[in-house]
Amino acid sequence: MAGPLLAIRDLKVEFSTRHGPITALDGISLDVMPGETLGIVGESGCGKSITALAAMGLVPNPPGKVSGGAILFDGEDITRANDARMRQLRGAEISMIFQEPMTSLNPVFTAGDQIAEAIMLHQNVTAAEAWTKAVDLLKLVGIPEAERRASAYPHELSGGMRQRVMIAMAISCRPKVLIADEPTTALDVTVQAQIFDLMRDIQAEFGVALVLITHDMGAIAEMADRVAVMYAGRVVEEGNADAILDHPLHPYTRGLIDCIPALGKVDANADVMPPLAEIPGVVPPLHLLGKGCAFADRCPLVEAGCRDSRPEMTGDKHRVACFVTGSKA
Amino acid sequence: MSAKHEMSTSRTAPEAISPLAEAWTVFRRNKPAMFGLFLLFSIIAFVLYGTFLYTGDPFDIVWAPHTMPSEEAAFPLGTDYLGRDLLAGLLTGGGPTLAVGAVAALITVVIGIAVGALSGYFGGWVDDLLMRITEFFQVLPALLFAMVLVTLFSPSLVTIALAIGVVSWPQTARLTRAEFLKIRELEYVTAARSIGARNNRIMWKVILPNALPPLIVSATLTVGVAILFEAGLSFLGLGDPNTMSWGLMIGSNRSYIIEAWWPVTFPGIAIFLTVFAVSLVGDGLNDAFNPKLRER
Repeated sequence: MAGPLLAIRDLKVEFSTRHGPITALDGISLDVMPGETLGIVGESGCGKSITALAAMGLVPNPPGKVSGGAILFDGEDITRANDARMRQLRGAEISMIFQEPMTSLNPVFTAGDQIAEAIMLHQNVTAAEAWTKAVDLLKLVGIPEAERRASAYPHELSGGMRQRVMIAMAISCRPKVLIADEPTTALDVTVQAQIFDLMRDIQAEFGVALVLITHDMGAIAEMADRVAVMYAGRVVEEGNADAILDHPLHPYTRGLIDCIPALGKVDANADVMPPLAEIPGVVPPLHLLGKGCAFADRCPLVEAGCRDSRPEMTGDKHRVACFVTGSKA
Repeated sequence: MSAKHEMSTSRTAPEAISPLAEAWTVFRRNKPAMFGLFLLFSIIAFVLYGTFLYTGDPFDIVWAPHTMPSEEAAFPLGTDYLGRDLLAGLLTGGGPTLAVGAVAALITVVIGIAVGALSGYFGGWVDDLLMRITEFFQVLPALLFAMVLVTLFSPSLVTIALAIGVVSWPQTARLTRAEFLKIRELEYVTAARSIGARNNRIMWKVILPNALPPLIVSATLTVGVAILFEAGLSFLGLGDPNTMSWGLMIGSNRSYIIEAWWPVTFPGIAIFLTVFAVSLVGDGLNDAFNPKLRER
């Protein structure tokens, strides 16, 4: 098998805040193979979005900066690439879909204009050719009456359609990696399913590698080949989606999976519905992290040694960073 | 594959309405603003006639000094202290007045947007430097500073327009900076970056169009302020003495205001109406561009 298309190696991202510098990403390593779907899952504030922005070279600076590690795209370390090179890569090789289709399109230009713009940034085509391509892309992402919708302004489109426009923009130059940062969080459930279908089809057609960032284990089960679970700026578990969903090793992953309210799981004869599962507590503020495992305070399996040092990733194919369950793997 | 995922909505897409077209719809319903626009167009028509079709020389001495309005049919607005026709003065003096106002506003907007955009977009030391310069211009008393500039470079329409522009850009710069600071954090700017757009493009093609509504309002109001400024300078005797303007008419006749009220009153009314019309239009634009006020 060929090497990874996108390889993140021991990446550190720091932010300066009024609490002093905090480490938003603390040495994460991830591989994205060509054409596969990597799911990155975790609660808000785990560093998922920062990982995505880092891969695009878009960590807001100041206050943030990549302070260590490397991001290798096709073997090229993009943390060291200059601005001009980064602009070539963005959109053309790596592109991104954002969470809020309401705010990620420019309100004063039409959908077609914005897609054509993305095309003209990377391809040597005339405005008219770019417009034709934009309309074709709108058809490809399943927008009815694409010719007319192309001249619609974002506020005239529904959330689902706007997200389709975003996808059309992101794939306009046939990137090799598509990063989707919670692409369906802001959408209705039925529309979510449509968007996932669309993304799967686009992946099949273009062979693009998809990095799907979500907090929804259901979406992971549906879409991902491999999964990385993030907690407090670190990857705590990584492996094949099936393995992780069926046999989660990290107590945090288990907690996330238990949080899915599955319809079939409930005993239909029970008088009282069982309470919804939850993970007690919240992600600790990053400036208050101690020297121990960041999950220790919320962990049902916590042991004496957990608060003394950080667990490292162990295991081969299915890797986990946990003192309790890791040793058994 | 597209057929499978066609969106379920089959209704026809409505005709696209651009934000500008929408603003115009709101503006059209605003009666004071439409009145202001009508007034402004009437004044411009009057001034265009005076500038391009009217052939009389407003500096010619044509009749007895201080002839009352309607006393002599040929000079319906009367004459000034030298016996010059006031109607001729109003007709030909409007062009320079409006031109100075418009050019000064243009200079204000160009400097203001350039400084504000760079400052707000790049932040850091660029922002610090540009804002200190802006503050330097802001703390100088505007009229005094303009007077110094005009006297230094001998009064002419060009120097007056430049002087007014140079003293009034800081407000526009601050407004532009505030808008850029706000908009640069929005997701569509990050999205523009994520497709590989460069800084120049993001500043002028992504952020500026979204920052325009308050800037258009401010630019419109600046025209009014600049006209008043020009009148003020002329009143103080710093106008261009070789070009008839409404300000010059007031300035040269002000010593005789007790004996004859009309030579200062008519150009005064002309300036008042122009600034009034511009303000009405500016307020109307403000309402049209501000979605929260639209439904009032």
